[in-house]
This record gives sequence, structure tokens and C-alpha cells, in this order.
Amino acid sequence: MNEEEAAARRLREAIATQFGRSLHIRTLDTGSCAACEQEIRLLSAPHYDLHRLGFFFTPAPRHADLLLVTGPAIRAFDVAARKTYEAMPGPKVVVATGACALGGVYPEDRFVHGEVAKVLPVDVWIPGCPPSPLALLHGLGVAVGRLAEKARELTFTVGDAG
Amino acid sequence: MPLWFARGLRRGVVTTRYPDRPEPAAALLPTPPAFRPSLLTAQVAERLVQACPSAALRLSEAAMIFDAGACTACGRCAEAAPHAVAASGEWELATTARSALIKEIPLAGEARQ
Repeated sequence: MNEEEAAARRLREAIATQFGRSLHIRTLDTGSCAACEQEIRLLSAPHYDLHRLGFFFTPAPRHADLLLVTGPAIRAFDVAARKTYEAMPGPKVVVATGACALGGVYPEDRFVHGEVAKVLPVDVWIPGCPPSPLALLHGLGVAVGRLAEKARELTFTVGDAG
Repeated sequence: MPLWFARGLRRGVVTTRYPDRPEPAAALLPTPPAFRPSLLTAQVAERLVQACPSAALRLSEAAMIFDAGACTACGRCAEAAPHAVAASGEWELATTARSALIKEIPLAGEARQ
């Protein structure tokens, strides 16, 4: 193993250690009825206590690893959604939350795209109307697995296969 | 303050142990329907598709397509045909592939032909 490969491996291990500690969530409401938000807020309540698992909510997309998107992706929110996604540092995952975001409730028309996948590259889908905090916890677990996959796929040197 | 402390001691730890242990309260959640393919005739399927308010159900040739992602677990299909539909009890549905949520259920009448 040459020096470059060793450096890439050290970097990858450092990233795995950093990601093992905590994960920060930015929520994005693209026109939902706030039922999803209500369930998301319940995750911080003593019954679910999200922080025991190392998840935290952050108000800044630049500090976030995970974008939790609710609502049917209204067209008026296109620019804000794209800017939020671009502001997040990689590796990042986008989680579509609730039946609206998955394309179940609103058909595509002049005002909404109808599903989040048409605006952002969605990695994990959480069904439910609204998804219960337990379903959200399960979805966040799935998202952590997807994020770990993305972190492993990072390349640091020419010909680095990860 | 001492009252709150005593109340806390009496109730014990309320925080769920999920995902380390299964959560018993999950049995109370509304869940998407499960269909009994043997009783799902074309007639029943038509009635279910009419009853669904969120376009989670649609008909294709010889099958009914159920999209659990679009389902709001409202239970109207179970009301429309209680013998063929019941709540599935599945709530750990989050997935990394949208297509994993879409199921095709063959219609009973067509399968016999």
C-alpha cells in the first residue's frame, strides 16, 4: 500500500468515527399540513427521546447531514429547496416523509410537483399519513445505513475504489 | 418540585426502548391494509379503488396495484370490503427504494382461468 492509499484509508476511518457520534437533521416543509411536523417534534419528547440515539435537529442546513422533507413539493418552494440541499455538506441523505412527499395525496398540477423526488434526489422514503414517531425512528435508522453506504463510496485519490 | 419528582419515580422510565427492543405501543398504530388475494375478485377490487381517497389503489390487467407509499391508512377500503381487507400491522415500512412500496395483487377471478 502506497502513501496515498494509506492517507485515503486514514481519512475514511476518521469520517466513519465522526459519523458514528451524531447525526444532525434539518427539516424542510414543502407545503405540508403540519401533521408530519407534529410527529417529528414528538421525537424530541421524553417518550421517544431522539437524542439518546445521537440524532439532533439543527436549524442550519450547513450543519446538517440529513434533510427530512415533508409536503408535496410546492413549486413556490423550488429555489429554497435546491438552495437548502446545495448548502448541505456531503455525504448527505434526503428523506421524503409522509404520503404527500411520496406522491400519494396531491397530483401534479400548476402549484405542486406532487412528490419530493421530482425536486430533490431522495434516498429514503418513509410512508404514513402522518408517519408515527416510531415509523420516523425506523426511517432514520434506514437513512443512517444509506449515509454509511455513501460515506464508504467517497473517493479521495485517483483510482481509489473505496 | 418534590411532587413532580415523586410522580416521576412512580411512573418509572417512559422512554421507549425501540429500536433495541420491540415497542408494544406499535400495535395501536393505524397501518396500511393487507389484502386476501383469494377473495379479491374484479368486482371487489373495483369497489376498493372507488373507496380509496388517496390514489393508493389502481387496477391494471388481472391485478390490483397497491402503493403503500401513497396510502394514508384511513381504513376506507377495509370498510368497503371487510371480508377481503384488514389492517396489515406493518409500520416499519421505510425503504431506500420507492418501488419496494408498490405491490401487485392478482385478482381472484383472473387467476382461476
